Amino acid sequence: MARVKFLCDVDRCIDCGGCVVACKEGHHIPVGVNRRRVITINQGKPGEKSMSVSCMHCADAPCIAVCPVDAIYQREDGIVLVSKKTCIGCGYCFMACPFGAPQFPSDKVFGARGAMDKCTFCAGGPADTFSEEEKNLYGQNRIAEGKVPLCAGMCATKALMAGDADQVSKIYSERVFKRGSGSNAWGWDKAYNKK
Amino acid sequence: MKRYILSACLLMTVAAGLAFAGTHEQVQLLSAFGPEPSTAAFKEFNAAFTGDWQQYGQTFTNLQTTLFGKIFLYVITLLPAALLLHFIAIGAKSFSHTGKEILFFNAFCRFIHWLAALFFTLLVITGLMVVFGKYLGGGALVSMGRSIHIVSALIFSGTAVIMLLIWIKDMLPMPHDIAWLFIMGGYLSKQKKPVPAGKFNAGQKMWFWVATAGGGVMAVTGYILFTFQYPTDTLRLSAIIHSFLGAGLIGFFIIHLYMSLFAIKGSIKSMITGYKPEEEVRILHSKYKG
Amino acid sequence: MTNSLNDMRHAKSLIFIGSNAAEAHPISMQHILHAKEVNNAPIIVVDPRFTKLAAKASDFVRIRPGTDAAFMLGLINVIIQNGWQDKEFIETRVAGYEEMAVVAADYTPEAVEEITGIPASETVRIAKILATNRPTSLTWCMGGTQHHIGSSITRTFCILQLVLGNMGKSGGGTNIFRGHDNVQGATDMCVLSHSLPAYYGLSDGSWKHWCRVWDVDYDWMVSRFKEKKWMNAKGFTLSRWYEGVLQEEKIEQYTPLKAVIQWGCGSNSNSQYHRVKRALDMLDLYVIIDPFPTMAAAACESDNVYLLPCSSQYETSGSVTSTSRQIQWRHKIVDPIAGCKDDYEIMAELVKRLGFADKFYKNIKQVPEDITLELGRGSLTIGYNGQTPDRIKKHMANWHTFDIETLQAKGGPCDGEYYGMPWPCWTTEHPGTPILYDISKEVTKGGLPFRNRFGLEKKYDSSGRTENQLAAVGVANPGCEVQGGYPEFKDVVPGTNWKTDLSQKTLKEALRRGMAPFGNARARCVVWTFPDQVPIHREPLHTPRPDLIEKYPTYEDKPNHYRVHTRYKSEQKPDLVKEFPLVLTTGRMVEHMGGGAETRSNKYLSELQPEMYAEVNPMLANNMGIRDGEEIWIESPEGGKIRVKAKLTERVDEKTIFMPYHFGGVLMGRSLAGNYPKGHEPYVIGEAANVCTNYGYDIITQIQATKDGLCKVSKA
Repeated sequence: MARVKFLCDVDRCIDCGGCVVACKEGHHIPVGVNRRRVITINQGKPGEKSMSVSCMHCADAPCIAVCPVDAIYQREDGIVLVSKKTCIGCGYCFMACPFGAPQFPSDKVFGARGAMDKCTFCAGGPADTFSEEEKNLYGQNRIAEGKVPLCAGMCATKALMAGDADQVSKIYSERVFKRGSGSNAWGWDKAYNKK
Repeated sequence: MKRYILSACLLMTVAAGLAFAGTHEQVQLLSAFGPEPSTAAFKEFNAAFTGDWQQYGQTFTNLQTTLFGKIFLYVITLLPAALLLHFIAIGAKSFSHTGKEILFFNAFCRFIHWLAALFFTLLVITGLMVVFGKYLGGGALVSMGRSIHIVSALIFSGTAVIMLLIWIKDMLPMPHDIAWLFIMGGYLSKQKKPVPAGKFNAGQKMWFWVATAGGGVMAVTGYILFTFQYPTDTLRLSAIIHSFLGAGLIGFFIIHLYMSLFAIKGSIKSMITGYKPEEEVRILHSKYKG
Repeated sequence: MTNSLNDMRHAKSLIFIGSNAAEAHPISMQHILHAKEVNNAPIIVVDPRFTKLAAKASDFVRIRPGTDAAFMLGLINVIIQNGWQDKEFIETRVAGYEEMAVVAADYTPEAVEEITGIPASETVRIAKILATNRPTSLTWCMGGTQHHIGSSITRTFCILQLVLGNMGKSGGGTNIFRGHDNVQGATDMCVLSHSLPAYYGLSDGSWKHWCRVWDVDYDWMVSRFKEKKWMNAKGFTLSRWYEGVLQEEKIEQYTPLKAVIQWGCGSNSNSQYHRVKRALDMLDLYVIIDPFPTMAAAACESDNVYLLPCSSQYETSGSVTSTSRQIQWRHKIVDPIAGCKDDYEIMAELVKRLGFADKFYKNIKQVPEDITLELGRGSLTIGYNGQTPDRIKKHMANWHTFDIETLQAKGGPCDGEYYGMPWPCWTTEHPGTPILYDISKEVTKGGLPFRNRFGLEKKYDSSGRTENQLAAVGVANPGCEVQGGYPEFKDVVPGTNWKTDLSQKTLKEALRRGMAPFGNARARCVVWTFPDQVPIHREPLHTPRPDLIEKYPTYEDKPNHYRVHTRYKSEQKPDLVKEFPLVLTTGRMVEHMGGGAETRSNKYLSELQPEMYAEVNPMLANNMGIRDGEEIWIESPEGGKIRVKAKLTERVDEKTIFMPYHFGGVLMGRSLAGNYPKGHEPYVIGEAANVCTNYGYDIITQIQATKDGLCKVSKA
């Protein structure tokens, strides 16, 4: 399978939180743990923009590099997964991550952080595919079912896209191409009085 | 609202590739073409997501991947090797234990010291377990190590405070400490010349203050890392300090261990019984007054 | 909606007034943003608040609440003054235009600025954008309707679209987004006090029509009422039923209300909720049928309240009508959880105990298919008769064959039909009508002219001019036998018309001739039965601008308005603003829904919006010494008083307070958490904003004026 990627189109994201709730409901994630979040800047002012973000499943992922116990690994399709049985909850991945993706549900000693939880691209985890263990630890495995991640599937405005990187960038390029005329083309408003 | 092709392209590259350090060149190249409202927004998004990743996150990542592991490895391999060389070349200092012995440490001091010693040792071991967790396979074993690390830190912090209180007077730096440092406490010589030192020599004082101050910093940064309820950049800075300082403390710990176990014969005994041979006191703590 | 959500993709410009689609209708946004991206359509948002929709807009116009009509008339005036109106459309398909233009002429950009606060240049600029980017899709929601002149405001929206010639066109139309799933269906079934299903009204003819549909004896139906006159009298409305209990205002009914059943109704969407609460306590019987305990379940504190837990939408099946008038089938996914019954079952039990199950279920053997069939058979006015359960299910099963742009199926079993057969769908062969009043298509293929409903000719009071109400010669759908206007069909089957001919011969005859059963007429700008024949601006009852009352006064009091005396002139007190200086408006947030009983019982949604708040402009807050997150009291002139957190934001201006209305479970500073059935209190509770919404009801529909009241704020 080709490389998978997420893409959030800030010009389309309307901060509805559908992706967040779909993710939580779909994977039964505890309150307080956010595999995906929507961040809005300039609330209530012109220039208000929103962005939905989760683990981006980076190439050369910093979290994998800093993990002291090699709990995090990357599949061939680029999906970065964590083995919750190996993870010790040290939090280094959170510090290395540019997106704040790793989450730590509290458990055990003095409410210390438990194993790291993060977006799985709806691809489950290292446990056997479709096993109860996988479901309990990592949530659904929609990728194995041939479905897109819940968040992108839920997105009302198709701002959030997930899937084969080439497909995602093709859809986005088409969108950008369409936007790139009329008032969206640089200088057209002044040069040709085009709205 | 105005949008531009380039800014939109940027969104694509930046959103998908912010994590790759390699894309920075592209960002600069494209942004030279004109004003992009969206990229300005990206900076704000980045700040909202995880603070200043470029400055702290990347630094932490680089240090964690390239340096910390090595430093710890060197500290626990090269330093003992150097001390081994010292042992072979200089050997242990031994003092007669047949003569009069002086009560150097009372029972309470010794109890606290051993409590501190126990939990500090645990801290070092469990800390190293986390650092080299991948060789232990992670999981429950290392997690347990981490839990012990947290418990030990709490107890050690307590003992450290007590030690500070009971020894602070003797640990204050004195002019003769400089002389001690010049001759490296006489450890580079086999001769038994009196060394300028009070109850504690400069080396011990250094260890004491490093352990106390460093321990304090370790406690604070450790607390921050434990609670995790701080800005991401604070966490990153704390992790960097905790790792560097941890390596340094382990170094001092190893030296301390070497001194007590090997460099001076019988010094371990004085920490058990509280008594030191009069000769040792005369030579190594020449300025000690009862 | 005259058009559909998907059709908004074809708009060349979009104007939203009193609508926050990004929060209230997030799904619609994909079509709206499509129009923006692909057509470069400007999105104009007119709102007192910089909403999340405004964040996606190209132009944002901040308007004073309750002055929408003035702004619209201003736009109309500018368009006419500049000759931008669609002259051909107006001449051939619009009635009463000249009378309307005279009224609109008073609303110069400067006058509009005085009323609305919108700079005169902005009115001109927006008018020009609309004129140069046709067709325009116009959307309004509760921000446009919940005023005491709501019916006038909505008419100005329609008139604007008529003047611009945007009606009956792809990408144009008036597109009113319905608030929830199947609200359109509920409206079509007229779950209201003034009409039988499908807008038949309450006349004897209507009762007889429906008695024929239900196959029950008309005389038996009459016998069910205390007196026959109550059959034809409008009942209490949802917004004021509690007056029938409290009787603090004179009611026109032989008895006060004694029992109330609220079925799927979060009653904290009622304005002056503290008075509703008193009414709840006074009732002999109060029944709540809902999947979750609503705020009323906790607010009603006498032992007269009964909760019947019903199933959720996933635990039952049936037909639902979307905002685009499309009918879809909802399949049951799981059985209702223990202790819950679905709505059909509850209704059946109720009917059985009331003793007329035999009559009720005469035509209904299989639930819910036979219900859909029966209601379709009777709802001829809006063409519900073509959408049989079989056809609906077929559409659902083949929805991938429908085109996203046109909603028309390409090939497959539904070839040529429009998704969900948007009503009117006149016969079981008709493809549905995707765009109302579109004369570019044949009637049999989804085209329609304007309906002939109000006679053939009218002499206007204001001008003395007589105008033919039928469409001009040459205006007709392709394939129509008559090239021009024609009246509605009747007496094809003697003694019936197209609305009452249950044999559907009339409909088929009309379609055979390529004609619309309801005739081909003009859309009218003058409604001679309304107090304002041409809509005008009237100051809100509780206005922050008492200086405008003289020029734009409200109506005279209306004694029997849905059985309640309703105050207008006597309520419009110029001094009120001195004590209550701030405008209070309410609205939705994306995470919660209606009264919030359901969404506040969802832990993830509750996590995203865990607290009730009031939006306060930082400037106002700083002047009052209120900090972000600090508790404040908000008080209404009716004595409602709530304690909420201040959220400092520039979404609102410094004269306005905004509150979401989804919270409940706290009443005037007192938590009602203990009143919920044990284990069923929602995850989050909060003050109900509607405790503070003001008195004020529309002169026609009696919708509550929740968007333009007054309030005062103090630190808690």
